[in-house]
Amino acid sequence: MQTPARPRTDRRLTVVDTLTLVGIEARPVRLECAVSGGLPGLRLVGLPDAAVREAGERVRAALQRSGFRWPPLRIVVNLAPADLPKVGTGFDLPLALAVLAASGQIDGRGLDGSRVHGEVGLDGGLRAVPGLLAVAIGAQQLGAERLLVPEQGASIATAVSGIEVWPARDLVEAAALVDRRVDPRPVRPAERSAVPVPGVDLSEVRGQPVGRRAVEVAAAGGHHLLLVGPPGCGKSMLAHRMVTLLPDLPHQEQLEVATVHGIAGGPHAVPTARPPVRAPQSGVTAAALVGGGGGIARPGELSLAHRGVLVLDELLETPRPVLDALRQPLEEGRVVIDRARSRVVLPAKVQLAATTNPCPCGMLGHPRRPCACRPDRIDRYRSRLSGPLFDRIDVHVAMRPVPRERLTGPSDAEPSAVVAARVARARAFGRSRRGSDVNRDAPWEAVRTSADSGALRLLADGLDVLGASARAHERCLRVARTIADLDRSDTVEEEHVAEAMALRLPGLPT
Amino acid sequence: MSALDGAARLAHGVAHADTDPAVLATILAWTCGPGRSPDVLRRRYRDAGEGVTDSAATPGTAEHLARIARDDGGLDGPLAEVACRVLSRWSARGVRVAIVGDGGYPGRLAEGWPDLDPPVLLAWRGEPPATSGPGVAIVGARNATPYGTAVAQLLATAVARAGGRVVSGGAVGIDAAAHGAALGLPGGTTVVLGCGHDVPYPVPHARAGGLFERVLDDGGTLVSELLPEVGAHPGVIRARNRIVAGLAEVTVVVEGGGRSGALLTATAAADRGREVMAVPGDITAPGSAAPLRLLAEGARACTGPRDVLELLPGMPRGEHRGARATEVAGPPSRSPTLAHDALPAAVHRALERAGPRGLAVEDLALVHPGGAAALLAVLTRARIAGSVEDVVGGIRLRAGPARPPTAPPVPPAARPLGPPRPSDR
Repeated sequence: MQTPARPRTDRRLTVVDTLTLVGIEARPVRLECAVSGGLPGLRLVGLPDAAVREAGERVRAALQRSGFRWPPLRIVVNLAPADLPKVGTGFDLPLALAVLAASGQIDGRGLDGSRVHGEVGLDGGLRAVPGLLAVAIGAQQLGAERLLVPEQGASIATAVSGIEVWPARDLVEAAALVDRRVDPRPVRPAERSAVPVPGVDLSEVRGQPVGRRAVEVAAAGGHHLLLVGPPGCGKSMLAHRMVTLLPDLPHQEQLEVATVHGIAGGPHAVPTARPPVRAPQSGVTAAALVGGGGGIARPGELSLAHRGVLVLDELLETPRPVLDALRQPLEEGRVVIDRARSRVVLPAKVQLAATTNPCPCGMLGHPRRPCACRPDRIDRYRSRLSGPLFDRIDVHVAMRPVPRERLTGPSDAEPSAVVAARVARARAFGRSRRGSDVNRDAPWEAVRTSADSGALRLLADGLDVLGASARAHERCLRVARTIADLDRSDTVEEEHVAEAMALRLPGLPT
Repeated sequence: MSALDGAARLAHGVAHADTDPAVLATILAWTCGPGRSPDVLRRRYRDAGEGVTDSAATPGTAEHLARIARDDGGLDGPLAEVACRVLSRWSARGVRVAIVGDGGYPGRLAEGWPDLDPPVLLAWRGEPPATSGPGVAIVGARNATPYGTAVAQLLATAVARAGGRVVSGGAVGIDAAAHGAALGLPGGTTVVLGCGHDVPYPVPHARAGGLFERVLDDGGTLVSELLPEVGAHPGVIRARNRIVAGLAEVTVVVEGGGRSGALLTATAAADRGREVMAVPGDITAPGSAAPLRLLAEGARACTGPRDVLELLPGMPRGEHRGARATEVAGPPSRSPTLAHDALPAAVHRALERAGPRGLAVEDLALVHPGGAAALLAVLTRARIAGSVEDVVGGIRLRAGPARPPTAPPVPPAARPLGPPRPSDR
């Protein structure tokens, strides 16, 4: 049994560097621990939330179970900066190490240049904390040399280069590491592609040549897509398969996705090559879509679909406030949540694949079933899609049910792989010219100057005749640019504009 | 001055030239009492045994009605004050009013008084209804198919061009298609409202720039039998149909379900001994139930505008311009514009076969050899040229001449291209 060092009565101040998450961003937090004589007890200051305040109880029990001693002294712990709200259970391990160092049970020389983050169980074992990838990225950006974290889940942190990861199973090992008495064990690197590829393929969609073309164009240009049609025509099937057409994500984007998913508990918490796809129910609330909640703002579906596809079925059944909440994120590619104490910015570069019925009963335009809706109710239903949001959806098409005889027999439709190859080629084709990944957010000049005069004339005259707004000029030309990319044409020609206009008629199609 | 005299003075500005303002004020004051309405007065008239043998109202009818009203007494006072309010509301909207049997009241509508319940009062905006030509009621469901609206437009255009009045109920769907097609043509159109003149119903037609405003600008008429503030509810909307039938020599039912109000219009027309026609429709479509039932019960089949025009008295007979049914969506005039040549033969043939219902773009993709992408481009050009139009069912050929070729080319630099400016929003 280790003889406890005699408590020093002089003031000792120990400092442990850790982090807290604001949105998906890790901010530095310095945990200062002062031990003094007086009535024994622990006082935690610096805007701790409920989970942080409970850290004292957990750490006290864990230290005793691990063969350490909870010093019978007055302990004051400050979490600096004091005005930043601290949330989560990641302060347990820093607190435990600070108390050990302050009471002289460890010397803590390994704490210099380290950031410490992790939850402690009552038995002294260490547990993973959500958002470890965000913590590792933050620690690396803050210039830390190493990151001391629970072994459970530590592998994810190895995806970040330029920082050494020290995994610890329990408090005893963590204390030994800090005292440099043992060497850190190697961490197995994070496994890639833990997410199974979605078990869907474009070849499962029968018929629908126009709908398929629309999905292909939307995927190639990063354009938001709206499919309109009666129930059962396959619009949801197509929307859910758009993700199969998108190219693999580069490493940096995989990390972005995994960061968000690590915090919110999504399936892409391990860096994965395939883009994520999220399909919230049509009854989704604005908070679930955008993110929010008490303490740290949890990423919502929009952020979970970052760099991937957000499938919104029955867009017009979605309440108006939810639709309005979509507008700014779709425009800016990020979600901004303003709180009284902080402003959280979450990434939300999503591609929208939305579907809707053409009318309340859904049968408007159905070749056989009658529509039972009164015209004024149809108008009211369709007007739910506000102009500004509708304007941001570049590709919209009407779909019809496929006759039953065409649904049976072997599929003659192209599989996702073939179409995805075309999409990847189209994206690569224009990348150097536009200087951005997709045409949706390419610089306007780069798009405009690549159109020939015939194309511009057709666009201007045609949209006047068809009664489209001036904004439609821009969006339409961007889609035309994508079609030209698919065609591997350096200039946007009349033919490309003509097709783009058919994919973006003024008004909601039926 | 008594309140009733005040009402009579106000009535001066509202009553038609042939209507006695004092009589109008008296009848209105009576009508404003509790449990009373113009129709109650009509029943009192009928039950009193006066003029039961009439086949139509006469110029003396108004005075008879006023006498019944005066016999009840108590008109001068609160009732007259209510009548004043009604009259000033009408006056503010430029409404004119005639009593049944008066010179300003359409003679056709007064037939069958009092048993067939022509309205006691007729309030109108625009052209006086008594002066318009022979009427054709073109009625049908609000929930119209592309076929129905195309037929309604075709018939209304032919009737109005030949000088006939297109009468309908001002609802959305078939009614609106018929009214709209008659605008700008000699015969004009009459809208029979299912509510008072102060009630904006149906909203899309009553708003500024809506159908009703265009009808008035075009010299058309909006009529209503109701006091200005009576709202549209199913009872009064159904009652309105008898006025539609009463104002027309011929009633054509274009489309409607098994319980459509168009059947009431047809019944009212038959009660008055007027011609009832029905447009044969798709027997599998629920929207054809009303006309098919009428055909089964012996209504005349309307196979084209000529069938309607032949039944109109005083109309030139024979071939009328635009009278062939094939023009609903027949081959558009063969002006050799670029767009027509752009529509591939296979696509054009398929659209021709589909007729006014149109064809889904997906189905066109099956007949077009170039694939979906090329088809979409072809359709955009055809839309711009005006040779096809979008309907609920998909795409159809446009009836009538295509749009003239677009204006001479403008250099692209002069075009307002660029990222959207704040003013575009």
